[in-house]
Order: sequence, then structure tokens, then C-alpha cells
Amino acid sequence: MKRVSIDPITRLEGHGRIDIFLDDAGDVANVYFTIPELRGFEQFCVGRPAEEMPRITNRICGVCPEAHHMAATKALDDLYGVEPSAAVRKLREMFYMAFFVTDHTTHFYALGGPDFVVGPEAPPAERNILGVIRKVGVEIGKQVIETRIRNHEVIKMLGGRGVHPVAGLPGGWSQAVTPEMRDRIAESAAKNVDFGLFSLKLFEDVVLSNQAYLDLILSDGYTHRTYYMGTVDAQNRANFYDGLIRVVDPAGKEFVRYPARDYAQHIAERVEPWTYLKFPYLKGVGWKGLVDGADSGVYCATPLSRVNAADGMATPRAQEAYEQMFETLGSAKVNGRYEPIHYRLATHWARLVELLYAAERMQELASDPEITDPNVRPVVTSTPSEGVGSVEAPRGTLTHHYQTDANGILTRVNMVVGTTNNYAPMAMSVKKSAEALIQKGTVITEGLLNKVEMAFRAYDPCMSCATHALPGRMPLEVTVRAPDGSVVECVQQYVD
Amino acid sequence: MTILVLGLGNPILTDDGVGVRVARLLRAALPPDCDVEVDEVSVGGLRLMERMVGHRRVLIVDALLSGTAPPGTVRRLTLDDLRQASDTRHSRSPHDADLITALDLGRRAGMTVPEEVVFVAVEVENVVDFGEEPTPAVAAAIPLAAAAARREIDRWLGAPVSDT
Repeated sequence: MKRVSIDPITRLEGHGRIDIFLDDAGDVANVYFTIPELRGFEQFCVGRPAEEMPRITNRICGVCPEAHHMAATKALDDLYGVEPSAAVRKLREMFYMAFFVTDHTTHFYALGGPDFVVGPEAPPAERNILGVIRKVGVEIGKQVIETRIRNHEVIKMLGGRGVHPVAGLPGGWSQAVTPEMRDRIAESAAKNVDFGLFSLKLFEDVVLSNQAYLDLILSDGYTHRTYYMGTVDAQNRANFYDGLIRVVDPAGKEFVRYPARDYAQHIAERVEPWTYLKFPYLKGVGWKGLVDGADSGVYCATPLSRVNAADGMATPRAQEAYEQMFETLGSAKVNGRYEPIHYRLATHWARLVELLYAAERMQELASDPEITDPNVRPVVTSTPSEGVGSVEAPRGTLTHHYQTDANGILTRVNMVVGTTNNYAPMAMSVKKSAEALIQKGTVITEGLLNKVEMAFRAYDPCMSCATHALPGRMPLEVTVRAPDGSVVECVQQYVD
Repeated sequence: MTILVLGLGNPILTDDGVGVRVARLLRAALPPDCDVEVDEVSVGGLRLMERMVGHRRVLIVDALLSGTAPPGTVRRLTLDDLRQASDTRHSRSPHDADLITALDLGRRAGMTVPEEVVFVAVEVENVVDFGEEPTPAVAAAIPLAAAAARREIDRWLGAPVSDT
């Protein structure tokens, strides 16, 4: 059996390693996609006061500190038994929408978008945000930066700190919104809506009008029929801040809907000997391995999953964009809702629909009369023992679960992070893309890494939550090995 | 124009937070009236570039895991060193652009990005275990890195750039 391994040389920011095993005929037999973990987070937390968690967990990762901050804050609501007031919920959600706008903007323009805007065949050095602005103009680069900056200002204003917010309290928020703050936020939100609409138009003009790109999105190599998870409101519309977690089956039928607190009843984790990371799966279906279909408990939690799990979007323009996406990709309406879209590369489109939703929702909240309610710090009186909180992080459902003693000192911490949800589907996507490129012993090294990269980039994976890195690259190495372990060939490339 | 000093890193990831510790030491040692702003940031790429906007000279103190020197080794690097080390324009994080790309983008978008960025990098050992204390060799290098950073700052203060 031959082994192809795609392995990074260093591990500062965190790395993925891909091992592709070939059978005797030279076809892909199996693919192992391993992701290392930062170690000892639970031990680090145990023994500390639970109320520190919103400020500690947002240090796990420099990419989505706001998501960890919010999941931790909501876990504290549950832990201390304080139901946040409507004003607190709206304030938190408004903060969170600013975060979604900036995060999705960055992903589309700097990371996922370049594959389409610049082209999947372009050399890696071109497939980045500079390549995007070379193709569509420097004005767009300016808009991307301005969007990031104005939303970071909102995050700082509401969250109390620029990068790692500190405002979340059990049942509350440390500061109320003043009318002046509200006006500034409303102004930013209006610009976000314009930017969201603009981004969808860009996607239509550059990606959808190009038949080759559309074919790529619709190609079998990037298609998986799995279950989909996402948080929904009472009308089953997508919500990022709060609601029930809904899972639909590959045909779009609701499989289960539950409050975050019950996550352990529905989600189990499969341990495989070849990786540190566990594979979450649906308990009610069972683990059948890395396969798709209704009989396999593999589920996916991404922007695409969220629009699949929901019956629609809660804001008008995002709903229009949602309908256009499902119609364009040929999804039929069954029992009043669209069938799920299984094309993984459509995740990029779904992300833009979500970007527009987050912008519109932020605008709605900024004009809500309750948003300036000064009463945002409730008194906490109950004795803590256990709390669960969840939000939709940009890259999937994020759940924090804490147990404490009667003094609120942590005794156990468990987290299911966005990327972890998608570990199984990502491994499947990598395998499928490898199968298309390795047949009968012929390894098409040219483009192999690009295609494999595209397969997992759609999921926007956080391979490990670190903060930064010098010199700023993640080299990957592909080694093709003969059955005796000798190196047949070796290619090297860098992923972003 | 104010010199910006940024200590980078995750303060709860063992050696990764060395830059933050150096920045704290440096802040305490600088005379209060000097034209130097010291900050701690756990960011990279685009957000790091955005933090630098408006400053012509920026000193970054960070952890470096090259494996080519013993832990605790302090090195001075420039943007050119970074350019040579990275022959693509991607960050190691799949969620960001690298600093060179980010600066390039900022410049093209008409922002005032720094003309001179110097890095004081400390070779580290452990950036995968959560912990608040750096490993001994890295801890011992903190005053050395702060001194190296101070030399850089003094050099700049001795040759100020005009505000225009």
C-alpha cells in the first residue's frame, strides 16, 4: 500500500496533516486528516472562578475571541440561573452581529473568495486578497478594510476592549448602550448592509456568471449528503446568537431540535486512534464511519449548514438572497422549505447571505427602542453548579459547558468548537478531492494541494486556536511512499 | 511621530506570550515623557496592520519558533527577512493574510502604514500547552529582549522622522 502524506514542517499556529493511503491498484483506499490540539485547556481552567471564563476562553484563539466570549457568557447565564433581559439579549446580539460582519468579510475576501475571484487554477501566490483587488479593483480592498475597522470599533465600544472583549457578565453586560453609541452603530450597520449587498453582487458577477466556476461548485467532488446543524429562532429562521439547535437530515426533514443544554444527549464523540481530535456525530443515527447519507451520523455545522437547517432568514434582503441561492442551485421546495444544498463550495455563497443577514439584523437592533435600556447588570443570587451556553460561531455551532462547586470554582470544562463539528465532513471532503486526483497509481501532483486546500477551506477550519505566527506560513509537504516506505516523489507547497 | 511598540502573543499559551511580557517590562522602563506608545495585542495579519496605521515606525516583539537556534535566543528581524522567509502571501493561519500582504493591502488602499517595522523575536520552545509561565530559557531571555528592543527605540528616538 502506498502512502501519500501531506505534512507541515512546523507547528506554530497549528497544522493539519493529511495521509493518503493507496490500495494495491493505486487508488485511494483511505485518507487520514489529523489536526493537532493545543493542550491542557481544561486543566488550565479548573480551579479558577467560572466568571473568568469569558475573559479566558477568548484567549484560546485570536480568530474568534468574540464567539468564545459570547458562548462563555451564555454558559454563565445558565450556570447562575439568570435569564438575561430582552435589552441584554439585544445588546449582546448587536455586538455579535458586528463580529459576524467582520469575520465573514475577512473570510470571503482574504481566504475563500480568492479561489473563485482569482481562480482555482491561479498560482497560490496570486490567490490572496491582493490577487482579488488586482482583479476587481483597489476600491474593494479599501472597502474590506473599512468594513473591518468600523465593525472592530463597534466591538470595542460594546465589548470594552478591542480584540478580547470583557463585557459579558452572568445574565448581563457590563455597560449599557448610550444614544450616541446607538447612532454610531446604526451608521455602521447601514454601511454594512450596503457592503453585504455589494458582496453578493460581486459573487454573482464574478462567480455565478462564470460557467466554469458554477460547474466546480456543482461538481461531485465537492458534494456530500450529510445532516446539517444550525441554531434557529421560534419560526425556524437562522439565528447566530440564540435559539434552539436544529438538525435536518440530508433530505431536509427536521431530525431533532434541542436547547444547548441537552447537547450531550444528541451529540457523541467518536475517538479514532490516529488523531487527537474526536469526531462528533449524531447519537440518534450512530457512527458509521466517514461516510455520508441518512444512515451516517456525520453532520456538518457551517454557514451552508445553517441555511440548510433553517427554513429561511429573519431579515428581508437576506431572505431574498437565500431564496436566490437555493433557486439557482436547483434546490426543490418540499413541504414549504427548500431541500438542503449539498455542494460544499456553496458554503462561500451561504457565508455572504449570512453576512447580509448579520448586517440587517445589526441595523434592526440599533433602531430598537430597548437597545438603550440602562438596566443591563442584574444581581446574581443563586448557587452555581452547571451551565451550558452555545452560539453560532462563524465556522459552526460553539458550545461551552462548565461545572463548578458551590462557590463557582470550576471543576470541569468541556467545549465543542465550530471546527470540531466539521471534522468528519472535512475528512470526507479531503478524501473525495484526493480520489479525483489519484487514480490507478497516477498521482496528479500539480493542483493536488490546491484542490485539497479548497476542499477544506470551504469549512473555514480553525486547525488550532492560536493567535499569530512568525514568519507567517504553513508549509505542507506531500510525500508519496511505496509499500516499503521509500519515497517515490515529494511535492511541497504552502497553504494559507 | 509616535513610535509604536507592540508585544504580540497569547499570554496563556506558555512561551507564546513572551512578546507581551517584554512589552510590559519595556513600558515600565521607558521614561514617561518619551514619544513611544507600548501596547499588547494578540493578533496578526490584517488586524495587526490595522493597529499600525498612522505610525511610521513600529517595533514588534514576538515569539519565533524556527528550530534553528536554542530557546531564548533573541534575534532582530526586518520585513525583508519576513519576505524572504515567506514565499507565498498567506498567513499560517487559515483565517488571515500574512503581515506582508496586509501591509501591502493597507498601502494600496491609501492608508498610512509604517515605513519601517523591526521585529525583536525570541526563539521559543512550547507554544502548544496552556500555561501562564514561560519555559526557563524563554523567561531568562525576557530582559535581553527588552534591552534589544530598547536599543532599537533609542536609535529611532535619536533619528526622528518628521510628521509629514
